[in-house]
Amino acid sequence: MSEKPTIVCRCEEITMEEIQETIEQFHCSSREVKLRTRAGMGSCGGRTCRSVIDRLVEELGGATVSNEVPLSYRPPVRPVSFGVLGGAKE
Amino acid sequence: MIDVVIIGAGPAGLGAAVAAAEHGLQVCVVDEFVKPGGRLLGQLHEEPDGKWVNGIEEAQKLYNQAIGLGVDIRCGISVYDLRKLENTWCVYTTDEMIESKCLLLATGASETPIPIPGWTLPGVMSIGAAQVMGNVHRVKPGEKGIIIGVNVLSVAIARELQLCGVHVESILLPQPGLLAGSAGNPEKMMESLLRLSHLAPSPLIRMGGKWVSPKLGARLFPKNGFKMWGIPIQLRKAALEILGDNQVEGVRMAEVSANGEVLPGTEKTVSADFVCIAGGLTPMAELASVAGCSFCYVPELGGHVPLHNEFMQTNLAGLYIAGNITGVESAKVARAQGKVAGLSMARELKALVYGGNEKLYAAVEEVTETRRNALIQFQPGIEEARKELHRKFDETYKQKLVSI
Amino acid sequence: MNSMRVNHHPVLGDLETHKEIKIYFDGQEYTAYEGDTIASALLASGVRTLRFHEDKETPRGIYCNIGHCFECRVKVDGKKTVRACLTSAENHMQIESCKALSASEVKGGTL
Repeated sequence: MSEKPTIVCRCEEITMEEIQETIEQFHCSSREVKLRTRAGMGSCGGRTCRSVIDRLVEELGGATVSNEVPLSYRPPVRPVSFGVLGGAKE
Repeated sequence: MIDVVIIGAGPAGLGAAVAAAEHGLQVCVVDEFVKPGGRLLGQLHEEPDGKWVNGIEEAQKLYNQAIGLGVDIRCGISVYDLRKLENTWCVYTTDEMIESKCLLLATGASETPIPIPGWTLPGVMSIGAAQVMGNVHRVKPGEKGIIIGVNVLSVAIARELQLCGVHVESILLPQPGLLAGSAGNPEKMMESLLRLSHLAPSPLIRMGGKWVSPKLGARLFPKNGFKMWGIPIQLRKAALEILGDNQVEGVRMAEVSANGEVLPGTEKTVSADFVCIAGGLTPMAELASVAGCSFCYVPELGGHVPLHNEFMQTNLAGLYIAGNITGVESAKVARAQGKVAGLSMARELKALVYGGNEKLYAAVEEVTETRRNALIQFQPGIEEARKELHRKFDETYKQKLVSI
Repeated sequence: MNSMRVNHHPVLGDLETHKEIKIYFDGQEYTAYEGDTIASALLASGVRTLRFHEDKETPRGIYCNIGHCFECRVKVDGKKTVRACLTSAENHMQIESCKALSASEVKGGTL
C-alpha cells in the first residue's frame, strides 16, 4: 500500500481516510461531510474535489446522486476582497 | 443597461456574441483568462484529411469577427455573483457590476480529479493544464511526463505534448478503487478508447473499434500495452503513488488484471519530472446554480447540467447557456450552440429581422449535424440524453416561459 | 536559460520573438517574455513551487492552469491571492510565494 495518505481536498488537506470514516460513521450527505471535515471548504470553493466527495458518499452508502447539485454553490464563487464586494475595482 | 452579457470567451461565448451582435445587440463578453478563446486556445488536432486545426487561429478568427461587430470583450475579469432584479441581470465582476437584459453562461467545464497519493506535489497537474502550458504559453510542462487516466482527452493531449517536444513516458490507469471509479477499470477504459478508433494510427484500436467488445479488448490487451504515435498506452498498469520530496520525481506503478486488481510483486518505479491527471471533464455550472436554475443529472453529458431546451434557454427568464456547461462535447458543437444562444437572445429582445426564426431553427439543426459529424464522442449516447433533457424541459417549463 | 520554452513546433511554427522583461520571485530575478502569465514565466525558468500550504507547509505549484483550483496563488506587489496562471507577468513585478502561516496566526484568527 501507499506510504503517503491520499489527500482528496487539496485546499484543506483532507484525506480519503477522514472522509471515508466520516461517511461510515454518520451515513451522511456531501454537505455533512463538508461541514464535519472541511473537505470542499477551501480556497477553490470545492470546485476541484466536489465530484470525488459526491462519488465517495454514493459508493459508501450515503446519499445517492439526484438531480439536485449535492454541494450547493454560494456566492461569491470566487474569493474576493471586502473592497471588491463593496464595489471597489480590483 | 446593455442587451447581453456573456460569461466565458470560449467558442460558445464568442459564437453567441457574433450571432447576437449581427442582429444589432449590444454585447459584452467577460472572461477570467488573459486571452479570449477559452479551451479552444489549447486545441490542436489533425482532421481525417490530414489538415491540422489550430485552436489559436480559430479563436483569433472568432475574436476578430466579434470585435469587428463592436462586441466589448473584457479579459482578466472574474464573475463572483449574479442577481436578477425585475427584468435585469446584475453581473458582479472583479471590475464592476454590469447590468443586462439577457445573460448567457458559457463557462465551459472543469476537470475531474483522480486523487492519488502525492498528487499535491509541484509538477502534478491536470491534463488540460499541460495542454495550455505547451500549446498556448509555449512552455513545456516538463521534459518527461507520465499521464494517469486513459481517455479520449488524455490520448489526444499526449500527442500534442509530444509535438511540443515533451517525452511522454506512458499513459496508464489510476490505482483501482473508490477514488478512481471507472477510470481504474481496464474494460471501461477500453470502451472509451474504442471511441477514438477512427483516428487511431494503431491497427489494434482501429480494427478494435469495429468489432472487439470492450470486455474482450481489455482481456486481449497486451500486458505491455501498445503504442499510439509511439506513446505507450498501458491499460494493464496502474499508478499507485506519485513520488518526490519537493516536486515530482517519479511514479510507483504496478500491473493490474483485466478487471483492475493490482497483481502483487509487479511494482516498479519510473522516473518523471511531471505527471498529468486525466479524470475527464464535468460541466461547470456554479453560476447557474447561484442564479437558481433547475438542474438535471445526466452522466452522458458529464454530470449535473442546468435544465435547458434546444434554444439554450434555462428555466429562468433571460438566462441562457451554451457550450460545455450544457454537457461535455467538442469545441465545434460549443460554437454551434453559441450561435443558437445568440439568435435566441435576439429573438427574446425582438431583434430578429424577417427570416430570423428560420435562421434560429437552422442553427438548432446545425448543432445536431455538428454533433453527428464530431470526430470525438466524449461519451456514448449524447444525442439521446440531450433529447430526453429537452423533453424534460418542455414538460416542466414550456407553459411558463413567455414568447416560445 | 529558458530551456523549457517550445521554440519550435511542427504545426504551430516557431515561437515569435517576444520582448524580454524582468520579474522578481521571492527576491530573485527571472527573465520572462511579454505575454507570459506569472505561472508560465516561472515554469519556463524551472520554478515549480509557487507556495506552501498555510497549515501543513507542503509545497504547491500549478494544478489546473485555468483559474479553477487556486493552488497557484501568490502575492503580487503586495496584493494577496493572485492566481499566477491567470495573471500576466509585467516588467519589474514583485512576486512572493505564499508561506505557511505561523501557529499563532492559524489559531489566532488573523487570517
